[in-house]
Amino acid sequence: MRRTLALLILLAAALPAAVWGDGPSVQASKIWIREGAPGVTVLGGYLSLANLTAKPLQLTAVSSPDFDSVEMHRSFVKDGMESMEPVPAVDIPAHGSVDFKPGGFHLMLMQPKKNLFAGDMVTLMLTFSDKSELAIMAPVRRDPPLR
Amino acid sequence: MKFKKWLPYAGLFILAIAAGLYAGHRVFAPRHGPRPETAAVLLHEAKPLPDFALTDTEGKPFTRASLDGHWSLLYFGYTHCPDACPTTLSDLDHMQGHLAKLAAEKRPKVYFISIDPKRDDLTLLKNYTLYFNPSFTGATGSVEALRVLTGPLGVDFTYSPADQKGDYGVSHSTFVLLVDPQGEEVALFSPPQEPARMAADYTKILKYYGEQP
Repeated sequence: MRRTLALLILLAAALPAAVWGDGPSVQASKIWIREGAPGVTVLGGYLSLANLTAKPLQLTAVSSPDFDSVEMHRSFVKDGMESMEPVPAVDIPAHGSVDFKPGGFHLMLMQPKKNLFAGDMVTLMLTFSDKSELAIMAPVRRDPPLR
Repeated sequence: MKFKKWLPYAGLFILAIAAGLYAGHRVFAPRHGPRPETAAVLLHEAKPLPDFALTDTEGKPFTRASLDGHWSLLYFGYTHCPDACPTTLSDLDHMQGHLAKLAAEKRPKVYFISIDPKRDDLTLLKNYTLYFNPSFTGATGSVEALRVLTGPLGVDFTYSPADQKGDYGVSHSTFVLLVDPQGEEVALFSPPQEPARMAADYTKILKYYGEQP
């Protein structure tokens, strides 16, 4: 019963896209936010973005009503030192994809507006270079979805 | 008669064997068997840690003596680190899971040493460290006191300039250090710190150092 209902909701959500064409230009998957240890006010967020169009795109902004601010960052190792730097935009090649994962690109979610625990869901708004937007729900987890 | 004549030689022979065994033990111990193949970098010579003075999250002095009598893993990071530090600490927690078969005293004690004492007070550091595993211990100290430990170990850290909100990042060495029960550095684990592989390497190194895991 619940599964049928979920399917109906999915269908209803997919219907407008099917009817009005276009559809989303980017698909997000493997979305998760790392639960913060007590007292931590900066959380890491991860996801995979697939460009469904034939044109290169960029993720240009991320926001969330659940955080004061969200930045895109990249972790990198240079001379055995782990560093982080903010990145203004992240490329998603045509028909290609980009992964935000530990040790690489990640979302830096700052100052959560309430305490977030594993199992909570967070809304993220992604903006792309073609001005399209994508709202996604990100689960807060202790560990990556596939380990 | 014959027996009496040979007795001194027999005595010398036994003494020589004993001396040989002792010398062999001194020279080759505590290595047992061939050098194991590990993803971890196993140092050719165990390197004594310097004398350092930090404070652990129980409020007790954290010195070289704190590492006596058990194996230890040291990782240097900071709590405002959203990506690398929680990933490594979570990997170290999973590594402990892979070592659950070992007797408790054979498992390594994990120390998370904050190189950001300005923001990481002992309470924050304690809550942070315990979150990953209740057996983990945090420690920190002044930047100068930290450098006494990190310098000789080749562990480095630098602070990036603060942004408008006063936030800053800390670049830091990525490896996890393995320290033996005599307070000597014996190996380095570099990323990717895959928990199962780290656990397997740890068990091999323990055997190499003559411990029965």
